[in-house]
Amino acid sequence: MSLIEINEVSHLYVGTDGEPTWALQNVSLSIDKGRFTCIVGPSGCGKTTLLQLVAGFLAPIHGSVTLNGEAIRKPGPDRSVVFQEYALFAWFTARQNVEFGLRVAGMSAAERKKRADDLLAMVGMSRAADRYPHELSGGMRQRVAVARALATHPEVVLMDEPFAAVDALTRANLQEELLRLSRELSLSTIFITHNIDEAVFLADEIVVMSAHPGTIKTVVTIDLPHPRDRGSGEFAQWFTRINHLLHDEQAVSA
Amino acid sequence: MSTTTPQTAHRKVSAEEATEIETAFVARHRQKVKRDRQMALGLNILGVVIFFGLWEIAPNIGLLMSPVLFPPPSKVVEAAFPMILSGEIPLNIAVSLGRAGAGFAIAAVLGILAGVGMARTTVLRELLEPLLHAFRSLPVIALVPISVLWFGIGESAKIALVATGAFFPIWINSFIGVRDVHVVYLRSASCLGANRFQTLGMVILPASLPFIIAGLRQGIAIALIVLVAAELAGARAGVAYMMSMGHQLFRVDIMFAGLILLGALGFLSDRLFVAVCRRLFPWYRPSA
Repeated sequence: MSLIEINEVSHLYVGTDGEPTWALQNVSLSIDKGRFTCIVGPSGCGKTTLLQLVAGFLAPIHGSVTLNGEAIRKPGPDRSVVFQEYALFAWFTARQNVEFGLRVAGMSAAERKKRADDLLAMVGMSRAADRYPHELSGGMRQRVAVARALATHPEVVLMDEPFAAVDALTRANLQEELLRLSRELSLSTIFITHNIDEAVFLADEIVVMSAHPGTIKTVVTIDLPHPRDRGSGEFAQWFTRINHLLHDEQAVSA
Repeated sequence: MSTTTPQTAHRKVSAEEATEIETAFVARHRQKVKRDRQMALGLNILGVVIFFGLWEIAPNIGLLMSPVLFPPPSKVVEAAFPMILSGEIPLNIAVSLGRAGAGFAIAAVLGILAGVGMARTTVLRELLEPLLHAFRSLPVIALVPISVLWFGIGESAKIALVATGAFFPIWINSFIGVRDVHVVYLRSASCLGANRFQTLGMVILPASLPFIIAGLRQGIAIALIVLVAAELAGARAGVAYMMSMGHQLFRVDIMFAGLILLGALGFLSDRLFVAVCRRLFPWYRPSA
């Protein structure tokens, strides 16, 4: 059985003009345990809606989303989310942010401090444990956000363009470290991006979506071994292939 | 290679030298920070001194008005000093502060409760929002005569007036702060497993704190204004009562002593508030 089953999901929302729009139409997708899944697609393809359905922020109008066979009804610590930015609680230090999910679950202070410190060490943020988010750079904040998401030992980590707001050099570092963490902790990850390079670098599977209405165009498995070399011919081939899939889409919709 | 000192070629800095340079640099930096702070404090004091100096000179050279109508600070101090020694001024300050403090405390509790409740409950919000906007545009001073008619000039009537005045800015600011908490914060809390109460206490209240603090600060200012109006309308003690006595006795110097006291009370309570905020919420910096 797959970890996450998205079964014939359609979702509508009402825009500011009062007109209904199909964010997703007849979307089905299975995600297996331990896989790194990237979702790419043009804006308006419903990739964020898809992530929010798995997170439980939204309930689908039609179809079902299940985790380990159970319908997802509301957000929960088994599916933590890393947002693009500004998600760390400004009034808590880095450590307190990481401890949040453990604190609300009632874990003892000593135990959660230990787990938070371990996680902060894992993302290379031990020195910043007692600093507040406004004292950290964008890249450091995202490291802490990843640590916070991992603290509750989620079944799946949902990442909504988490590295879109950091500079290119930092982004490359964060990508490498995320892959290392994924392997060390055998994470299952759903990662949304509009950056093809990022998707080809990270993904086991890339879900290519198209817009108006939001549907899944195709799912490709990237079988390149890690670490992937951005300068290699194979990498370039994958990049070109995904790029074509996306550009066809834009040519059709334009 | 250097353009400024062509006669000596630069060599690498050794580890010991680096430590030395670092120590000197840090010392210089600390000294500069300290100097800047002293400079700022000096200028703050200088501004006050210049103000009182000009005020001292102006009536004495016949500028603006006669010294009787516009007494210089020396005359004000002369009038106030015996009143301080006799305990009259300390008593008036204590009475005024007691009223302002009690009214403000009531307003703070009710205002925050109402603001949070209204922002988190749709029915309450829709029910109360039009009334809120109507009431907050009403100057509370306009309620003073009605309050005197209804409740007389007793302590509780004054405290109620102060509380009413301070309530509205606290209410509206808490409401806006809680209503506008960023959805990413709420989603983060829920996907990390926080329940309603945990979300309220650990996320919503801290996230809206800048607004709540702004409301409380406005509340302090309004509490003092309403306090003065209430005391002027009739009281047996208090700083504004002292001023109205000065008015009836044609003692303008006592009236000015009251003005200075009110200014000092407003200034000190605001500074105290900011200091408390810094202490309690190190992550939040209220501007000035």
